[in-house]
Amino acid sequence: MAHHMISLLVNGQKEKLLVPSNLTLLHVLRDMLGLTGTKNGCEAGECGACTVLLDGEPVNSCMVLAPELDGREVITVEGLAKDGQLTPLQEAFAELSAVQCGYCTPGMLMSATALLRRKPHPTQQDVQEALVGNLCRCTGYQRIIDAVMVASRTGGAE
Amino acid sequence: MQEFDYLRPRNVAELKENLSQPGARILAGGTDIIPQLRRGKSAPKILVDTSGIRSLRFIEDQGDRVVIGAMTTHQEIAESQLVSDLNPALRIAAESVGSTQTRCRGTLGGNIANASPAADTLPPLLVYEASVLIQNLSGEREVPLESLVIGPGQTALEEGEFIHSISFRPLTGRWGSHFIKVGKRKGMAISVVNAAATVVLDKKGSVSKARVALGAVGPVVIRCRETESSLCGKVPDRKVFEKAGEQAREEVRPITDIRSTEEYRLHAAGVIVARVLEAAAEQARGRMG
Amino acid sequence: MTENYQSIGKGVIRKDAWEKAVGKALYTADLPVENLSYGVILRSPHHHARILEIDTSAAVRVPGVQAVITAEDIPGEKVFGPLIQDQPSLAWEVVRHLGEPVVLVIARSLKAAEQARESVKIRYQELEPVFDPLEAVQADAPQLHPDGNVVSEIHVGDGDPEIGFQEADVIVEKTFSLPRISPGYMEPEASLAVWEDDGTVTVWVSSQHPFTDQAAISAALNMPVDRVRVKGAVIGGAFGGKEDSSLAILAALGAWKIQGTVRLVNSRRESFLAHPKRHPAHIHYKLGARKDGTITAVQAEAYMDTGAYASYGPAVAMILTETMTGSYRVPHVRVDTFVVYTNSPLSGAMRGFGSPQTHFAVESALDMLAEKVELDPIQIREKNILHPGDQIFTKVTINDSALALTKCLQKGRELVEEFRAVPTPEGKLSGVGIALAAQSMGLGANVPDDSSHKLEWAPDGSVLIYLGSPDLGQGLAAAAEQITAESLGIPFDQVRSLPLDTLVTPNGNVTCASRMTYLVGNALVDASQKLIQALLKGAGRLLDIPADQLNYQNGMVLKPDGSEIPAVEFISRLAEDSITLEAESTFSFPYPEETTPQHLPIGMPHVLYCFGAQVVRVEVDPDLGTVEVTHLAAIHDVGKVINRLGVEGQIEGGVATGLGYALSETMLRKGESWVDSFTEYLLPTALDLPENYQTIILEVPETSGPYGAKGVGEIPLVPTAPAVANALYDAIQVRICDLPITPEKVLGLNKVS
Repeated sequence: MAHHMISLLVNGQKEKLLVPSNLTLLHVLRDMLGLTGTKNGCEAGECGACTVLLDGEPVNSCMVLAPELDGREVITVEGLAKDGQLTPLQEAFAELSAVQCGYCTPGMLMSATALLRRKPHPTQQDVQEALVGNLCRCTGYQRIIDAVMVASRTGGAE
Repeated sequence: MQEFDYLRPRNVAELKENLSQPGARILAGGTDIIPQLRRGKSAPKILVDTSGIRSLRFIEDQGDRVVIGAMTTHQEIAESQLVSDLNPALRIAAESVGSTQTRCRGTLGGNIANASPAADTLPPLLVYEASVLIQNLSGEREVPLESLVIGPGQTALEEGEFIHSISFRPLTGRWGSHFIKVGKRKGMAISVVNAAATVVLDKKGSVSKARVALGAVGPVVIRCRETESSLCGKVPDRKVFEKAGEQAREEVRPITDIRSTEEYRLHAAGVIVARVLEAAAEQARGRMG
Repeated sequence: MTENYQSIGKGVIRKDAWEKAVGKALYTADLPVENLSYGVILRSPHHHARILEIDTSAAVRVPGVQAVITAEDIPGEKVFGPLIQDQPSLAWEVVRHLGEPVVLVIARSLKAAEQARESVKIRYQELEPVFDPLEAVQADAPQLHPDGNVVSEIHVGDGDPEIGFQEADVIVEKTFSLPRISPGYMEPEASLAVWEDDGTVTVWVSSQHPFTDQAAISAALNMPVDRVRVKGAVIGGAFGGKEDSSLAILAALGAWKIQGTVRLVNSRRESFLAHPKRHPAHIHYKLGARKDGTITAVQAEAYMDTGAYASYGPAVAMILTETMTGSYRVPHVRVDTFVVYTNSPLSGAMRGFGSPQTHFAVESALDMLAEKVELDPIQIREKNILHPGDQIFTKVTINDSALALTKCLQKGRELVEEFRAVPTPEGKLSGVGIALAAQSMGLGANVPDDSSHKLEWAPDGSVLIYLGSPDLGQGLAAAAEQITAESLGIPFDQVRSLPLDTLVTPNGNVTCASRMTYLVGNALVDASQKLIQALLKGAGRLLDIPADQLNYQNGMVLKPDGSEIPAVEFISRLAEDSITLEAESTFSFPYPEETTPQHLPIGMPHVLYCFGAQVVRVEVDPDLGTVEVTHLAAIHDVGKVINRLGVEGQIEGGVATGLGYALSETMLRKGESWVDSFTEYLLPTALDLPENYQTIILEVPETSGPYGAKGVGEIPLVPTAPAVANALYDAIQVRICDLPITPEKVLGLNKVS
C-alpha cells in the first residue's frame, strides 16, 4: 500500500512523517506524535471531540486523511497555551467550571478558539452555533457557552 | 479502514489524468465518503483528493451567471456576500449543513455527487435551475443539475468525469428565494424534509414565476412543476400558498425510514412549501422592481 | 445562611480542570506505555444464533498476531455480572445479542489485529430473536436462558387497591412506553492491562467501580485478588454505563495470555451495541382518586427490557417499583414489575436507575387526573404531596427532608405563573408544565454499602485523600477536598485527591446512586477527626504533653498555655521519624431499625430521597408538530451545597439529558441492526437548549449528611420529560405517552406503514 512522506507544522513544530494513505489526522496526532489531548469520540465526524485547527479552520481530525496534510498547519489543544501561559479561553473554561469529565473539552476549546479568532466579540447565538458540532453529555453546555462569552471579554483565544 | 492509493492533484489537468485510472474515486471534502470507507460501504482502489486544487474553489459573479467551483466549502458559501445577495436560499441551506467542522470540509461538488435525497444545498440550486459543468480527459459537458442526480447516491457522472463547477442565473426584477428544513433537533440536523422556493412578482404584484423544490420526499430532490405552474398569475397570499403546499404533496413520494414516516413527511412537505413560498414572496415584495 | 464556612458552599475550581483544559489529562486510551499490543474484539453479527464452529487457524497465522482467544482459553470464571453471573466474557455455544464479544485478538499492531479478526471464521446457525419484553414473556417466545426469560419479578403492595379503586370517583389508566437510551458519555469504554514481571497484572480502567473489576478479573484469570491491581485513569463520563466490567476482564485476559501489555478501546459502534443502556419499559398505570383529587389507589404493571443479560436489571427494577407512587401519598398500592431477557442491546444502570421511567408515567397520569377533577396541576400535587412522617407503600417513612418537596412545589407555582405570562409568538401555541421528582439515594437496605477512604497528612502540611471511589467527571474529588478542608480547618488548596489504585486506596465502593457526596463526605468528616487525634498524639509525644491537653484548630496545635504551633511543624518532625499521619474511615449507609428487610415488603428499599421539581414552557408549531422548550426552571433540594459550581453543573447537565429523553433520544432498530452512531442517536447539541434556563437550589438539611448535604447526581434528569409532556398537553391538548416526543407523534402521523 502506498505510503506518503508529509511535512507539516504541528503546534509550530515541523514534523516529517511517513504515513499510510488510510491513516487519519486523528491517529497521526495520537499515535505518531503522542498528542493525546485530541480525543477519539466517534470517528464519524459526529461528536467533535477530535476537533483541531487545520490552517486555522476547525475540522474533525477523524475526517482528514494524513496524506492531505503535506504543507499544512495543525494546531491542537496542546498548542494553545504558550510557555505554560493558558489562553483566556482555557482559563475561563477552568474557572467557570465548563469542564466536567473533560473529554469534550479539547474539541470545545478548538472550536471556540476558531470562533474567537474569526469573530472576537460573538453573540451567544454565534457561540452556540460554533459549538454545535461538539457534543457534551456532562455540562448541558451552559457553562461552556458562558466561558466562551467571558473569554471574549477577557482577551479571547490568544 | 481499507487500503487505497491516494493521489492529490494540484491542478485540473492532473485531476483529469488521475481520474482516468480505473477504480479512481474523488475525495471532495470527505464528510460522507470517509465514514463510508470506515464502515466498508465503499471500496475505491484509488482516492483522488481534490482539496488541493485551488482553481476549483471560487464563487464568481460572471455577469449573467453565478459560478461556484466544485471544491467550494459549505462554510465559504454560507459566508459569501455574493451568494447571500443572489441566492439567499442557498446561503441558508449551506449554513444549516452539519456543524462548523463539517461545513469547513464538505464541498458543494461533494454534496451534489453524494446525491443524498436529503442534501440541503440541492433544493436551492434546483429552484435556480442550476447547471453543472462536468469535465474529463477528453472534454467537458454542461448538464442541468436536475438531470445529473438520478437516484439516492446515484449520479449520471461517467467514469473519469468530475464536477468542475455549478452555475445559475441570478433572478431579476422583484424576486425572492428562501429555504426551510425540518430536522429532529436544532443543531446538526439532517433534513426530515426540506424545501426551497423562488418567487418573481410582476409589476402588479402577481406571481410571474415560481420555483419549488423539495428534499427527502423521494429518491432524489424533486422540482414540483405543477405547483409552480399553478402559482403563475396568482396574487400571492397565504391561501394561495397553502393551496400550493397541498398541490406539492401530490408531486412527491416520501418513504418511512429511521428519521420519519411517510405520512409525516407528506404533511410537513405541504406546510413548508407554503411557508417557503410565503417567505420568498415577502422578500420579493420588499424588492424594488 | 449564617454558618461561617471556609470551603463548604463556595464555588471552587476543581483541580483537574487545568490539566483537562490543556489536554494533559490522561484517559485510559491516552496512557503512554511501552511494548503495547492491541486488542480487538470479534463480535456477533447476529441477534441470536448458535455458534457451530470457531475456526481461528487462519487468524493465528497473520503476521504480528500474538493470541486469538476464545471462551475456552479463559482459565477461570467464563461469566460475569454484578447481580447474576450470566454474561459470558466471550460467548460460547450461543450469542444472544448483536455485538456480543466472541473472539479476542491480540497483535503487535492494530492493523494486524484487525486483519486477524477478519480471518476468524465462525459458523453460526441463526435462531429466532425476540426484542419486546411483552413478547419475550409469552410461552412460545425464544428462550434465552435455561430458567426462562423472566430475570426477576417484584410483586409488592400496601392496602387493598380493590378498595382504593372502589373509593375512587375518577380513574386514569394508560400505558406508557419508554425508549432505550444511551448514557452517551463522550469517552468510549477502554482498558489497559500490563502483565508484570512478578506475575501480577495491573489493569487501568474507565470504570465506576474498580474494586468489582478487580474481583471479576481475579475470578476470570483464576488469580488471587491481591495479584490483580486496578488503577483508575481519568474517566470521560459514565452516568451508570461504566458500572459493568467487560473490557477490563478482556484486557487482563489478553495481557495474561501474551504476558505483555494490551489495550482495548471500544469504537462508538461497539459502545452503542455492547454497553448498558437505560431500560426500555412498558408501564401500565392506573390511578384512582376522589372527586376532590385525593388519590385513593395506584396499580401498576411494568415490563422492563434488560436485553440479553441481567446486568443491573433486577436492581433497577427495585427503584422503578419503589418510585411508582412518585412524590405522593397513596393508601392502596399494587405494583408488579418484570425484568425480561430479550435479544436487544443490554440494559443496566443509567443515571436515574428506573426512576425516570416511572416518573414519566406518574407525573403524566397526575396531570390527566387533574384535568378530570378540574384542578390545576399545582393543586393536584399540593393535595397529594408527601410530608415528613408519611409512610410510602414500601413501609419506608419519609423523613423531615421531605419538607423540601413542599418548598419545591411552592417555588414551582411561582415559576408556572411567571412562564404563563410570557407572550406567545404568532403561529405558535405555548404551554407550561410541571413535574415533581423523588429520587432515592443509596443502594438499598439489603445491599451492604460501606465506603472507605483515607487521609494522609504530608510533611509539607498538605493533606492527601486516598479516594476509594472514582470521580467520573462529576466533581466528586472537589467535594471530597472541600469537606476535608472544612473539617480540618485548612485551605481547599492544601487538600488533594489521589487517583484510585486498589493497591493503596481503601474500597470506597461503586460511584453511583446519588450518594457519593453523602457517603464520601461522612467518611471524610470522620477521618478528619481521626487525623486530628493522630496529630495531637504525635504532637503530645514531641512536646511531652498528654494529647488530651492539646487542641487543634485551623492548622494549628493549641497548647494548654494558649500558645499555638503550626501543625506542619509536628507533621514534618514526625515524618523524620518515619511516622506518617494517616486516618481511614468507613461510612456505612444508614438504614434505621424499622427499615430492616424482614419488616418490609420489598427486598432493598431505599430510605433517603432527593426531591425536585421542574417547570417547563414549550412553544409548539401546530402545523409541523415541532416542540421547542423555551423556558425551563430546575428546582432542586440538595440538603446543603458543597461546591456551588459542581451542583449547578450537575443540574444543568442532568436537565440536558432529560431534554434528550423527552424530545430526541432513542436507540431504535435500524434495518437488521440498531441505531449505533451519533448520526441517528440524537444527543441535544449546544443549540438545543432552552433560551431561558434557571437553576434554583434549595437547602433543606439532611441531618445524617455531611454538613447537611445529600445527593443531586441523578434527579435533575428525572422530572424533565414529564414536565415537557405536560407542557405540550397544556399547549395543544395532545397527550404523548411514549417517549421521545416527536413531531410525528404530536400530529398523530407516526404510523409505520
